[in-house]
Amino acid sequence: MSTDSPGFVGADGRTFRRLLVLLLLVLAVLAFVVVESLRNLDRSIAASDWVNHTHAVISEADAIDANLAAAEGDLRTYLLTGEQRDRDTCQETFSDLAGHVDVAKALTRAAPTQYQQVLQIESLLAQRASLARELLRARAGGPGPTVAGLLAGDAGGAAAHEISRRLLALKDEQNELLAARDTAAYLQAQTTRWTVLTGTGLDILLLVAAAWLIRDDLAARRRAAAALQEANDRLETRVRERTAELAAINAQLVAQNLEDRWSHQALEHQLRYSQLIINSISDLVLVVTKALNISRLNPAVTRLTGLTAADLVDQPLARIVRLTRERGDTAPLRFDPIAQAFADGRDLRSHPAILTDHLGRTTPVRLDAFPLRDRDKVVGGVIILQPAAAPPPG
Amino acid sequence: MRFPQLSWRVERRGPARRWPRWAVLAVAAAGLTVFETHAVTLAQLEQNPRLTPRRFASYFADFAYELSLPVQPAEVFLAREKGDCDDYAVLADFVLKPKGYATRLIHVRLVGRIPHAVCYVAQSKAYLDYNNRDVFFTLARSGPTLREIATKVAASFDANWTSATEFTYSYASEAKSWGATVVKTDPPQDDPAPGETHLSKIYVD
Repeated sequence: MSTDSPGFVGADGRTFRRLLVLLLLVLAVLAFVVVESLRNLDRSIAASDWVNHTHAVISEADAIDANLAAAEGDLRTYLLTGEQRDRDTCQETFSDLAGHVDVAKALTRAAPTQYQQVLQIESLLAQRASLARELLRARAGGPGPTVAGLLAGDAGGAAAHEISRRLLALKDEQNELLAARDTAAYLQAQTTRWTVLTGTGLDILLLVAAAWLIRDDLAARRRAAAALQEANDRLETRVRERTAELAAINAQLVAQNLEDRWSHQALEHQLRYSQLIINSISDLVLVVTKALNISRLNPAVTRLTGLTAADLVDQPLARIVRLTRERGDTAPLRFDPIAQAFADGRDLRSHPAILTDHLGRTTPVRLDAFPLRDRDKVVGGVIILQPAAAPPPG
Repeated sequence: MRFPQLSWRVERRGPARRWPRWAVLAVAAAGLTVFETHAVTLAQLEQNPRLTPRRFASYFADFAYELSLPVQPAEVFLAREKGDCDDYAVLADFVLKPKGYATRLIHVRLVGRIPHAVCYVAQSKAYLDYNNRDVFFTLARSGPTLREIATKVAASFDANWTSATEFTYSYASEAKSWGATVVKTDPPQDDPAPGETHLSKIYVD
């Protein structure tokens, strides 16, 4: 017997579809989280790059400030010593300064305002470099009034202060940018965090729903299995009861069959006994129907008439017996006394009759007729024929 | 084997130290005396007709790292067998360029680290990096643009880069000339063409 009813198969398909939908939703949420996280990661990297970029600009501004101070110091050292070594050092420091300015220009290239600031700083630095070149050239000729004049013209360090002020302004602006970019990076990280948390939470909820669906489906399966088991138990109980009933009926039938066989044997015995009695009678005995057709006869009939049972059964009694009047009265009877007696329900005794054998020879006999009753209704009769006594000589 | 992470360095504040000629010669002579059995000399490198970037790198497998703010003269670097990325890259550029190699010196500025110098060799489509001197692949393959090189160099440090600048160096003047600078946050299509150098208005001769 199949354990899955058609309805249960339908429920299976429905559960499977629901699970499939839930799992597809989980996958969709997962894909969304992955894509969004990757995009956020890219944005975070970009934000981080911008933070690094801003730090780099600040770092270059600091380096310019520091290199300018170093270059000015190296220049003055050379002006004091006149040593070639100090001149080379001064040139190298200015070279480094130029490198930092180039990098600062490149870093601010995409921001016109800041780029202009750097260009202005570069212009001021170029003026300082120009003065340095003049001083170097003048010092090459010895520590004379030219050098002193040039230095005097630069007294107060206003230009250097202006450069430092502009660098400070640039750094302040960069610090503001840094704060803004750091905030953007922080918010980006927060967005990523919320995206991942929300997606994960949603996925967990969907998985819980899927688990609930599976649990519900399993419960339904258990209920169906229990119902099926109960139905099977009821069926088995009915089968057992029916089997017991059939066994009882069978036993009863066996007993009844035995009784019937015994009864049949008793009847056969009775019949044979009755037949034996009838057959042992030397008088002619015939059993007729209500219509006076022969239904049975004893051997005395065959002996006397030469006709067998096969010849006489279902034949009218009149074929071999004809009722007559009293001796000497040859007039035909106007009615049949036997039929009349049966109709009246009375016996007919010692009525003269003629028996005809198979050769047509006749024999006078005395006829007795007894009606056979079944519940007060005449259904036939018994005819007994006795040879009539010979008339006295006379 | 990757070179250990470089230490932090504060920008130079004081006057730069230079190597006087007499000191260079003295150190070179001492180096030749002490290391004459195995140290390669600048003359050997210059006169080696079969010198390739890979063969050049093979001479430095046993060199030690030592940060030196000014670029060391080639003879001093070779004699001492100690130096930094600038010394190595500048020497590679100095030695390989006369042999027909299209070399470029590149400074990559890394976040929180000192700038790192490498020498890119166009024919090899790779750059020579002092940090790779004692590994099997002494040449690190890279595309020719500054952005590609900077990205590759930064990746070797597991770091981010902010900008990369092409430069040249002259042992004679002991000064660097700065060229094109690529900034990481700029759109790549706006990157300046590699190879160009210019004389800064701030340069003092």
